[in-house]
Amino acid sequence: MNDTVLVLSIASAVVTATPVLFAALGEIIANRAGVMNLGVEGMMLIGAVVGFWGGRATGSLIFALIVGGLAGMALALVHALLAVTLGVDQTVSGLSLVIVGSGLSAFIGTAGDPPLLSAANGVDVHPLLPQALRDLPGVGPILLGHDIVVYLGVLAVALASYYLYRTPAGLSLRAVGEDPAAADAAGLNVTVIRYAATAVGGFGAGIGGAYLTLAISGTWQNGLTAGMGWIAVALVILAGWRPWLGLLGALAFGVLNGLSFTLQLAEVDVIPSDFLKMTPFVGAFVVVVLVSASPSRARRVAAPAALAKPYSREAR
Amino acid sequence: MTSGATARPHNRMSRGISGRIKVTPRGFGGPFVRFGIPVAALFVALLLGALILLAAGDNPVDAYRTMFDASLSGPTAWARTLALATPLILTGLAAAVAFQMRVYNIGAEGQLYIGAIAASGVGLALPEATPMVLMLGAMLIVGAMAGALWAGLAAVPKALFDADEIITTLMLNFVALSLMNYLIFGSQTFWRDPQRVVPGGKRLPESAIMPAISGRMHIGILVAVASAVIIWWLLARTSWGFTVRTIGDSKPAARYAGMSVKKQILIVLALSGALAGIAGVSEVSGVTKGLEPRSLATDIGFTGIIVAVVARSNALGVVPVSVFLAAIATSGSRLQSIGIQVEVVLLLQGLIFLTVTAGEYFVTNKVSLAPRMHAAVPADDPVPTSREPSTASIEAQASEPDALVPEQVAT
Repeated sequence: MNDTVLVLSIASAVVTATPVLFAALGEIIANRAGVMNLGVEGMMLIGAVVGFWGGRATGSLIFALIVGGLAGMALALVHALLAVTLGVDQTVSGLSLVIVGSGLSAFIGTAGDPPLLSAANGVDVHPLLPQALRDLPGVGPILLGHDIVVYLGVLAVALASYYLYRTPAGLSLRAVGEDPAAADAAGLNVTVIRYAATAVGGFGAGIGGAYLTLAISGTWQNGLTAGMGWIAVALVILAGWRPWLGLLGALAFGVLNGLSFTLQLAEVDVIPSDFLKMTPFVGAFVVVVLVSASPSRARRVAAPAALAKPYSREAR
Repeated sequence: MTSGATARPHNRMSRGISGRIKVTPRGFGGPFVRFGIPVAALFVALLLGALILLAAGDNPVDAYRTMFDASLSGPTAWARTLALATPLILTGLAAAVAFQMRVYNIGAEGQLYIGAIAASGVGLALPEATPMVLMLGAMLIVGAMAGALWAGLAAVPKALFDADEIITTLMLNFVALSLMNYLIFGSQTFWRDPQRVVPGGKRLPESAIMPAISGRMHIGILVAVASAVIIWWLLARTSWGFTVRTIGDSKPAARYAGMSVKKQILIVLALSGALAGIAGVSEVSGVTKGLEPRSLATDIGFTGIIVAVVARSNALGVVPVSVFLAAIATSGSRLQSIGIQVEVVLLLQGLIFLTVTAGEYFVTNKVSLAPRMHAAVPADDPVPTSREPSTASIEAQASEPDALVPEQVAT
């Protein structure tokens, strides 16, 4: 039963969900501290190209993910400088990150000799668990057949959730995102916490991008993320800034994104592929509208109160 | 963002840097500050680009000289640059109009595609013998309406539920792109030329093609510049423009004054979409001369956002900024002849966006070297009274979800 359409498409959805999950988790952390970073797409791209380089240079998946994450973090710190220290419009600053990320990644991709563009993957991504477990019916391919990064993604969700809701540091972070003035009065360093949260956000996006090139596409192409970073931003709203709901949302994206693959497997050929490509974006559009239109006050409570608002002690 | 309202005084930072740098808010700098700083930021971006080129082992002087020669020296080069500046002016205006009200239309890219689809549809559907004036007029009107309607898909949920227009307009870009690809690559539609082996659009009849002025430059540039003047006049000289700018500064204040924020969201996003739609008309009629997805999908909509930011949402400023960014973009292909990657163009656009955004801080804050004696006094900086309006606008954004509640109850 392991090669049925259902099992294969769910298994592939889990893999596709992973880069978006890392990016969305990072954005949740940044948002929770009150920093809106719309530059996820750019940070993923820079993470993707640098991660791909790291993979070719060392052959190590973990090293590649870490350098990819650090590259995303470096770009995120630029946003922190603009948004936290200089207090410029966070929307504009985030958008500038998208353009810088796509420009810089395209430049890096063609700068080397031989260029990374269309080069072979330096990393061999293989399943973590032994063959016997992976052959179990149903759960084998869906849950047990993945590489280590997929499981790290789930672990990261658990850690992020624990951190945000069960640790003093997580409480501090949320306090800074809800009411920076009160947090400041309580002795928390708003600037440092916001920088750190933004950096973590960039690290998540960078890892997501690196995983995308190393494990999913296997090559670097300009603009490889094709909107995944924006899906991650939408996902954060959908998840109401909660990590576990982010995991669910990422899986839903994985399923929608894999729809053309699924229908191909099922030999259903009624919907043109161009329309299938639209589905994740139509889905994100509809979900954002529905969440906004929901009459409950839940969504208004969910968004960090000080999101996208710069804080300055003197300007209160 | 026109008033750069989000920048705040930062005395703490000044103390951090050994008390030598003094930062004081200036409510709204004079023209020298408002236009000089973005220009200075452009040079900083070019400098950063030069450093990156050096690091990559290229000669930045050669690179910039080649770029200048390819885009700004001689009539042919100018024609090429102005041809590319044409759609950038229009998408730049699309972004700028929305920015004026602090609404973010990131969907000009998709609105451009939809405008191009609609206009080429009109051009192919009307009889070839239709007089050019009527033909082009019909294409412009239908293209603008199509772009406005596409933007409306995001504007209506924004007005009704405050659905985040950044996300919704952006998602619609991907939908529009897939739709355009479907019309040419995924099916045998009205737009596709059945004769061609490689999928491509049917060529528009002569009467539907904007006449060339010189080289690649076509009369679309006149449409673009006229649009800039009209938008400038609407925003700066009419009561409607005042309404839009007031809402941009403070939504609660605008509501208090009896202005309908919801109505203006619909109007402004529709106008923004219409401008992007016209950019699509201009491209399909003056450049590609048929619906050609690959040639149309060249990030003109996204570059329009950079244009608007660099021009600080000033409709007249959009024109020279578009020419500048078009000059950079057109010169990319020439760089390859001296062994430098085309990607430098993308890199420079990103750096420009970044430095100009950072420059916004210096537009709203005066940074100067202060004598030690003064800086040592913590209460040195005056209370920023001059910044009250912008502070109010931040508070306005802050209280927006709550501010929406009573209004929803009322309706």
